[in-house]
Amino acid sequence: MTAYRHSDTARQVLRSLVPVICPPEAVLLGDAIVEHMALTLGASPQVLQRGFATGLVAYDLGALPRYARRARSLRGERAERYYAWWEHGPTSLHRQLARGINQLMSLSCYEQPEMMERLGYRPAPWIAEVTQRRLTVYRDDVQRQDAQILAPDPLRPGVRVKRERA
Amino acid sequence: MGIDPARPALLEGTAPRNVFTRRDHHGDSVLDADVVVIGSGAGGATIAAELAEAGFDVIVLEEGSYYQTRDFTADTSAMVRQLYRDGGATMALGSPPILYQEGRAVGGSTVINGGMSWRTPDKVLARWDRELGLSGIARELEPCFERVERRIHTAPMDPEAIGNDNLLLKQGADAKGWKLIGNLRNQAHCAGSNRCAFGCPTGAKQSALVSYVPRALHYGARIYADVHVDHITRHGKRATGVYGRVSGSGHRITVRARLVVAACGAIHTPALLVRSGFRSPSGQLGKNLSMHPNVKVVAIFDEDVTGWKGAHQAFQVREFQDQGLLFAAVNMPPSILAMSFPQRGAQLGQLMQHYDRMVLAGMLCEDTTTGRVRTINGQPQAFYQLAEADAANLKRGVVLLSELLFAAGAKRILLPFHGAGDLYGPDDARRLLNRDIPARGWEVVTVHMMGTARMGTDRTAAVTSSFGQVHDADRLMVADASLFPTPIGVNPMETIMALATRAAGHVIDNATRFLS
Repeated sequence: MTAYRHSDTARQVLRSLVPVICPPEAVLLGDAIVEHMALTLGASPQVLQRGFATGLVAYDLGALPRYARRARSLRGERAERYYAWWEHGPTSLHRQLARGINQLMSLSCYEQPEMMERLGYRPAPWIAEVTQRRLTVYRDDVQRQDAQILAPDPLRPGVRVKRERA
Repeated sequence: MGIDPARPALLEGTAPRNVFTRRDHHGDSVLDADVVVIGSGAGGATIAAELAEAGFDVIVLEEGSYYQTRDFTADTSAMVRQLYRDGGATMALGSPPILYQEGRAVGGSTVINGGMSWRTPDKVLARWDRELGLSGIARELEPCFERVERRIHTAPMDPEAIGNDNLLLKQGADAKGWKLIGNLRNQAHCAGSNRCAFGCPTGAKQSALVSYVPRALHYGARIYADVHVDHITRHGKRATGVYGRVSGSGHRITVRARLVVAACGAIHTPALLVRSGFRSPSGQLGKNLSMHPNVKVVAIFDEDVTGWKGAHQAFQVREFQDQGLLFAAVNMPPSILAMSFPQRGAQLGQLMQHYDRMVLAGMLCEDTTTGRVRTINGQPQAFYQLAEADAANLKRGVVLLSELLFAAGAKRILLPFHGAGDLYGPDDARRLLNRDIPARGWEVVTVHMMGTARMGTDRTAAVTSSFGQVHDADRLMVADASLFPTPIGVNPMETIMALATRAAGHVIDNATRFLS
């Protein structure tokens, strides 16, 4: 895993896309969502990181001919229309970048605790509850299995290899 | 919020004796062993444990880090970053590209799989015996399966751990009169946390991390995590050890060994062999890649399902197994689900409000075509073109699975291809059969990569012997799903473990030769 940081351009473009891609209730979480995307990208192959960063520069500059300003400065309806143009864009590269942004941002959006809470998704207490239940109800079986893991059970009974060191 | 990626979870606890991580290296190292195993997943951990118990001095090298059950949290994306190769963003190139996932941690992909533990189907073993010269393979694997199942506690689910999403799948199958079976899984009283794919946080899933790895350590094996193996060293055609680097520090690590076992999975094993200069006279190294293409549908019900409470894939629909299709319910956390939807903005929010009323169901397709792994600048790149016949089978599977889910009461089904629209009833589903769905529009994923160092007795057609010994090389074995001559149509973990057990027996039986 390599350390990855958004460039200023990438950060601003992504920040401007939060209202386009995330649900309205997530817009206030924009900075956290964009930061979370950096964590995800940091775990991905470098070629993907570079491609994504390059794509965001192209996305940013691509708005100039149409709107006389960069994509990072577009707001509201214009930001929406410009993203939609990429989403249904003329080449697969346009479409893949738009899809990639959507996927990464949606992932990061619903990794925010506030968003999980809105859905009623609370896995940590559930994990704690079922872990405790397992160790209580099935304690003896669990201990037996743990012991079995280490108990002698040679694949070839009676055989113990003697190493011959050179 | 998330775990800081700069703070590896292993710092939270002390690693067991004989586990060495990047923090234990303070310079270059040269190590000696009887056997060096590259990879600690289903194949590597199994053969390491068996050989260690038999008295071999075993070193296991693992590219990923060492985590323990207490490190597995509810933070989904942190787990993906830590446990998946390339954060889960690896792709086989083709139309459509196929996203595939591999574990990269001590325990390998068994740490992140669903825990399905099925023996190789009889018809597959019969074919290997009949067509590929693997005479008597079924008989020889039988005791290996028994042994593996004992070790990893293969068992049916406790009823109370089965969640509503799986019960709805069963209800639908029952309504259709289709064959459904309880899944056998490597679990000791699965608690139903539904976190299999992100490291089991309860310790119930008996992955290699909590079964074969501790066993190997107990019998004296040493595990070096965070080590990327650059190449296998050799003298002529004889493998003599490995050379690698410690992630992060760049310290060099050399292991001199009398036997080298490559167990890096079907993508990385052929690349390792190629960049180490081994060639197969068969020309098959890296070829014959099977993937069990997998697609998913999302069904929305009127009532709460809360599919994240309950065991992962408690059942499998086996009605269409002869036609190469298996169905199962496979709940995913909201973030993973959200990224699979094309919707965005308010539409995404409206859709995700139904999260607790969704059933995510997937299918495994036994593929009829193969791809290949090419080694480019020393790194593997998978290429796989979904066959038209398999795409047609997947489409048929989507229709059947949708019918099942409607029979269970689903009100709406979201499909795994772009622009297809949603389904609102079984008639919509059946109409799909007449629609042309271009392959490039499919969302296909997989976790089952197989076949790139296929075994067989004919060295002009196979890369290894039936025990995984690389033809035309000495002291070099393969012990992972690369060995599969054909796709097996079921989850591969137990087959990998059984083959590794059989291979270990072969090494023990011929210890004098291997240790000379």
